[in-house]
Amino acid sequence: MNVRNFVVGVVGMSALLLGGQPPASAQKMTEQFIPIGQSPGLSGKATVIGKLQSVNAQEKTCAVAGPTGALNVRVTERTKIWLDRSNLQQPNLKGTFADLRPGATVEVKPESQQRGVSSAPAEWIKVQVAASP
Amino acid sequence: MRSGEEIVSSVIKRAAVICLPLVLLAVLGPPGCKTAPPPDPQSQLIAKGRDIFFNETFAGNGRTCGTCHPAENNFTIDPAFIATLPKDNPLFVAEFNPALKENFENPALMREFGLIQENLDGFDDLKNKFVMRGVPHVLGLRTSVASPGGPRTGWSGDGAPGDGSLRSFAVGAVIQHFTKTLNRVPGIDFRLPTDDELNALEAFQLSLGRQQDLVLPLRLKGTVPKRGQAIFLDNSLGKCNLCHVNAGATANLGGGSLGNANFNTGVEDLPDQPARLTTQTVPRDDGFRTPGDGTFNVPPLVEAADSGPFFHNNAIETIEGAVAFYDGEAFNNSPAGLTLKQADPRGVGIELDGTQIVAIAAFLRVINTLENIRQSIMLLETSLSVSSPEERKRLLENAVSETADSIRVLEGGGLHPDAVARLRDARRMAEKAVQSLFFNRKHTEAAIRDQKKARAVLVE
Repeated sequence: MNVRNFVVGVVGMSALLLGGQPPASAQKMTEQFIPIGQSPGLSGKATVIGKLQSVNAQEKTCAVAGPTGALNVRVTERTKIWLDRSNLQQPNLKGTFADLRPGATVEVKPESQQRGVSSAPAEWIKVQVAASP
Repeated sequence: MRSGEEIVSSVIKRAAVICLPLVLLAVLGPPGCKTAPPPDPQSQLIAKGRDIFFNETFAGNGRTCGTCHPAENNFTIDPAFIATLPKDNPLFVAEFNPALKENFENPALMREFGLIQENLDGFDDLKNKFVMRGVPHVLGLRTSVASPGGPRTGWSGDGAPGDGSLRSFAVGAVIQHFTKTLNRVPGIDFRLPTDDELNALEAFQLSLGRQQDLVLPLRLKGTVPKRGQAIFLDNSLGKCNLCHVNAGATANLGGGSLGNANFNTGVEDLPDQPARLTTQTVPRDDGFRTPGDGTFNVPPLVEAADSGPFFHNNAIETIEGAVAFYDGEAFNNSPAGLTLKQADPRGVGIELDGTQIVAIAAFLRVINTLENIRQSIMLLETSLSVSSPEERKRLLENAVSETADSIRVLEGGGLHPDAVARLRDARRMAEKAVQSLFFNRKHTEAAIRDQKKARAVLVE
């Protein structure tokens, strides 16, 4: 194998391995069943828990009032939305953008896992479903 | 003539003379018998993790981590092992718990091919959205989980919720596999592991098997395994070492270690996959991410020969067959195979002949046996220093099991009959040590000597 061919191979393989992928974490779909605030290694470190302040359906964005300020969240086609009904002892369900309503308690995992960022696409959002009055 | 009182007094004195040393022996231990030092905090954490791994059901359906990762079967399950389990083993919970009868497991595929059902792409359509996967062993994890893109767990690297780490893996496993019903409500169908339990489970899993990678080449003695190692390391022939550096789970394509990497090697495109030959539904497994990109992560090879069947779908039963896969159409037309082909001056991916395939497999059998011998010696030596009879028995039984694996792996490839003879001796001595009350140490030391003799046959 000559050097040129090997370099082509290395570049090709590296692209195959790494090309365009965000860091691998938190993909496992069992996340759906983990109550708000209990995601291992993430809650309290790489997520924001707070009340939804506002929701913009056209822009597909929302603002969450977290403990260290507001986080503007963009909902993309990759964002998973789950309804956390664990307080009601009911199974958690897959949700939609329409389930994001101002005043709801949510936990947001930004895609980049960067703490302190003020605007980010969301990897997932858990929405707490309150008991009916 | 002595009075009755004198006789009683004499008997008591004699009894005291006889009993006192026995009591002292029981309290202080036999002379020369060292008392084991108290375990350090890390050892205590590992012991706690072991207990949780094998005994904790997390208030679920009865399964533990050890249900699918039994120590006596290299921390994995296969059809032969499954066939030895009683009908009420929690592995078969879908066969006797009505709430889990549908859409939880496929008992036919579990029993015939050792496949487990997983909902890696979500839980909203349980009937149609699932994959069938084998159970990976959990040995050598310290060498295989890390990658620049984050920790990689499970077959496709995305096995854990939360931060995706090995520590978090147990949370996902409990939700997927331990639930009492398909509602999967924490606090009702199971309980989630606590932080302390996750710490202990992680410490235990990281303690299993190799703590570091081999450094190849080894000075092997067998003609065929030696040739197999050379082909393995030849980046223009076997090309194995590009993605399995030092027969481990990390890749290095020339620009430094990539850690545990993901590749699409075309396993899903294999024709005549066993599970798909049945009438059962086996959806295509799209691997890493949701939706998947078709890639799966690289497993370590040192532990391969005694932990088949192989690949994420248990598609191939033998280590020879697993090596031969890389010579086939499915691999050479896959993204990984095409990239190798592009980088090759002759324009070939991996092209091997029958003798070369068997040689690589022989090499993999020998390094697996060397690892089993290492483990066996460690278990036997540790058994000499523990004070608990139960713990000593556990260690010795594990050594017997590892030695049986060594014998099976070498015999399966027709390799090193002289080493096999030494290993049989070692197993016999370890079995005697398990049974013996008084000659435990002698038999254990003999077993260690036999293990070392077997190793000397395999490698300089």
